[in-house]
Amino acid sequence: MAGALSKYSFINAKLRGRISKILPDELFHELAKSHGLEEALAALRDTSFADLEEVYSSTGDIKQAELELLKDEIEIYRDVRKYLSGSSAELIEALLYQFEVDNLKNAIRLYFDRKIRKRSIDAGVHYVLYDRIIHDIPIDIIVNADSFDEIVGVCEGTPYCQIIKKYYHTVESRGSLYRMEIAFDHFYYDNLIKCINKLDKKDRDIAVRLTGVEIDLQNINWIIRLKSFYGLGLDEVMATIVPGGLNLKKDMIGQLYSAHNVEYILQGLIKTKYPGLSALLGSETSDNVSRLLLIRQMLQGITKHEVQKILAGYPFTIGIIFSYFILKQEELKKIRMILNAKQYGIEQERIESMI
Amino acid sequence: MMFTTEMVQLFGVALGRDSQRLTEALLREGCMQFVKTSEYESKSPDGASADQDRLAEVSELRKRIEGFLHTAGIIPSVPEDADINNRVSVDIKKEDNLLNQIAAQREGVRDKQRVIHQEILKLEDIKRQMELYGRDFSDLKLASKSALISMQIGKLPASNLKQLENGLKDFLSFSAAVAIDGDMAHRFLISMKRDKSEINKVLAKAGWSEVELSNQMHSVNKNVFEEISTKLEKLSVEQKELETKAKNIIKSEVERLQATWVNLWVSELFNRIQINFEPSSRTIVFTGWLPVSRKAQLTKVITEACQGHCYLEFNGAGSKTTIGDGVPVQLKNPKFLEPFQMLVSNFGIPKYGTIDPTAFVMPVYLSMFGLMFADIGQGLVLVMLGFLSAYSLRNNQQKRGMYNLSWLIVWCGFSSVVFGGLFGSFFGMTIFKPIWFDFHGVVAGHSSGSSMIKDVYSILAITIYFGIMVITLGLLFNWVNMIRSRKWSELFFDKGGIFGGWIYGGGTYIAFYYVLHGYKMFPGGNVLFLLVGVPSILLFIKEPYHFFKHRQPGEKFGPIMIMNFLMCWVVELLEIFSGYLSNTLSFMRVAGLGIAHVCLMMSFFSLAEMTSGIGSIAILVLGNILVIGLEGLTAGIQALRLSYYEFFTKFFHGTGELYTPISLNSKN
Repeated sequence: MAGALSKYSFINAKLRGRISKILPDELFHELAKSHGLEEALAALRDTSFADLEEVYSSTGDIKQAELELLKDEIEIYRDVRKYLSGSSAELIEALLYQFEVDNLKNAIRLYFDRKIRKRSIDAGVHYVLYDRIIHDIPIDIIVNADSFDEIVGVCEGTPYCQIIKKYYHTVESRGSLYRMEIAFDHFYYDNLIKCINKLDKKDRDIAVRLTGVEIDLQNINWIIRLKSFYGLGLDEVMATIVPGGLNLKKDMIGQLYSAHNVEYILQGLIKTKYPGLSALLGSETSDNVSRLLLIRQMLQGITKHEVQKILAGYPFTIGIIFSYFILKQEELKKIRMILNAKQYGIEQERIESMI
Repeated sequence: MMFTTEMVQLFGVALGRDSQRLTEALLREGCMQFVKTSEYESKSPDGASADQDRLAEVSELRKRIEGFLHTAGIIPSVPEDADINNRVSVDIKKEDNLLNQIAAQREGVRDKQRVIHQEILKLEDIKRQMELYGRDFSDLKLASKSALISMQIGKLPASNLKQLENGLKDFLSFSAAVAIDGDMAHRFLISMKRDKSEINKVLAKAGWSEVELSNQMHSVNKNVFEEISTKLEKLSVEQKELETKAKNIIKSEVERLQATWVNLWVSELFNRIQINFEPSSRTIVFTGWLPVSRKAQLTKVITEACQGHCYLEFNGAGSKTTIGDGVPVQLKNPKFLEPFQMLVSNFGIPKYGTIDPTAFVMPVYLSMFGLMFADIGQGLVLVMLGFLSAYSLRNNQQKRGMYNLSWLIVWCGFSSVVFGGLFGSFFGMTIFKPIWFDFHGVVAGHSSGSSMIKDVYSILAITIYFGIMVITLGLLFNWVNMIRSRKWSELFFDKGGIFGGWIYGGGTYIAFYYVLHGYKMFPGGNVLFLLVGVPSILLFIKEPYHFFKHRQPGEKFGPIMIMNFLMCWVVELLEIFSGYLSNTLSFMRVAGLGIAHVCLMMSFFSLAEMTSGIGSIAILVLGNILVIGLEGLTAGIQALRLSYYEFFTKFFHGTGELYTPISLNSKN
């Protein structure tokens, strides 16, 4: 116990202080109400996001502001890692992989658009991160590559090389990146779970729960995309599912994808595991995709519930770090979503329904 | 100053026709914190809802204008000479449209900025690539195979230049003139290799033919890299101009926006006041709290506004005829106590009628800080830093908390100077005779210069005495609060009540007796019984008293109840004994930190002695900086912790509601 105390006492105090500064829901509703992007940015003036207004007013480019937001987000992880050591620090490193994976996905998407879809990518190349996150990956060369072989060559020595090598023929033959992207997601979660398994039991249990809920959300996102845009068979869908989910096991996902007994499954899940969230069952949906969106909302509710439980419980565990990252991600996601919605003139009601 | 300001509740009835004048008078006086007279609410739900909607509209528009003004660096406020009688009605739709127009104009500028930004990003990208693979003509051949950019020189008919520029617009490229040879223009082109095939098409269309670099052209040797840098600078200037233009769009409307903001804000305040008026067919009823000192003036202005046609009834706090629960609390302290009031408010707002500890926090907090951080030189540094910070923040209303914190640092600095004088410390050196005793000498094992203080135990004892004084003061305050609120049972039976205090006083006497007798003897049995036994036995009455006083119908008294009483009594006694003991010993940290402060300085002096010259001075300077930063912060936090947990918890219930009247200075 003394170990946990010395390991987490400082970071616990620091992150609790930061959690108290996470923007309240009322402010997001204020932002949703604002007339246009610039007024939404002005409403963030007295928060830690005041820089966004400065970036926008000096460039007129909201994507530039978003890029700065992403850099700040990566810095948050690096900053927390500084205060930890051993398996906990390794875990933060594993969490940092999500940014490298996403950045690499973006770079490969640009290559794919240019080379395979024959589209101009000049507008997009400025919004990829060229700085090192974990590995030295020459994003420049990937974006400008002549072939996947060249990309494989420059990724040599990183964990991504084998994934690209394995899947690029499928990407080229099917004209779709989704298999490679799913493989990247699988790599990220496999690596994360490996790091979680190195933690002490108490930390491990918490990390497994919170990561499990995140994996559930990730799987639901994939199912929604696959159902809406790809129309794949059940076997193929099951192959994309990331293992390690907390509530949505493979059989349940199968039923969700086939949309059999969705309400029954949901009711069972909420009633048995999260009776406090039964208010979420009140919503009625008409089509399958809406139902899946509802499930996503429920899983977000479950994440929130888990985070609240951790914040109210024993403080000296990895839980506080996970909770902070989850809350911060949620906050950043909402800000990005609202600013983009304002940029595209989406109505207040629709924005509010999404936050 | 010692107690919260005495408040009185006004219950008023006026004629509906005087509503406007009455509102003006109430707003001008700005001393009423309204209470909703809910018993009348159901009479006009539609009207109330319409008022609320109007208030929401006004508030939304006002906040919108505020956002625009903030962009131009203006924080709006109501001028002191604002004429609230002759308010101009604001056409919300019209003003909204005006704001939409300003926003659209600004958006137009932002669109241009976006285009320029894209151009800047393009050029920066090319510049970055050139930095990697070669900067100018002479490096053309050096660009390695792995370079992502392609550089070429070619000629084309001068009449096709425009066509070329347009064709290249969508690509990440840069072209510059090299020379004109008759009707042929020679140009240098940088583009990305990835766009090679598309760019070749554009070049072919424009009649481009690649040429070898002639010697003559080599002599031109124009530094393209510099040209890109110049272009980038030009674009940055343009970007800055557009940014200023966007600001100027708002600045050109500032006067109007500010005037509208004032109108809206006053209107909003009017609405906020009038929402609290409960109308009947011909009259309005209103009620609210105000300080007793404002009663006469408010009566006068209301009577004048209503030309005498009004009924005003004032009820003191605690009277059965007041409406609503709770009385708002106004803390009235001199300006110099503001930093300490901030410390109190951070803990909570005292309950109405109880002691406002601000004036006592000042000596208690500063004494503890001084004992932990006693040094004239370091104190003067704190004073200087605090003054500088307070000076830079003096006009910043947004950072009032930081301003008060700066003054707190000044006060702490003064305290350090005073205690530094008492202990004879100047930047850790004893260069003059201490007024009280030599703290450094005691810690180093030398004479203290005082017959009373012989070793570190004596310093620990000083802090124990201090702790006993602080706790006793807290207990006295608690008794005063209980007497004022007529809570007689709590006065006697609470942990901080008279019996608890009796036990604490008795325990303290016994502890001193024991120490003074060489840790070998306690007072006699009768004295012990009188000091600790009697109040402990008297505390046993507490639970039965509560049971019989608040017994629910059907609740029976039996043997289990007696066991309950016994258990509660034992637990309460344990809590009192262990609580007071730990509370008192907690003050030893003051001595601990004071000793640590001296030890740190002694360590730096020892380190400095190991070197000489600049090295020695550097160690002392850095040591002092470290001590001021680290120890200063620690002493500040520990003094605060002791004030909050050992002093405040004895008497302070931070359950009060701060008095926030509707006035022209109300916060948004």
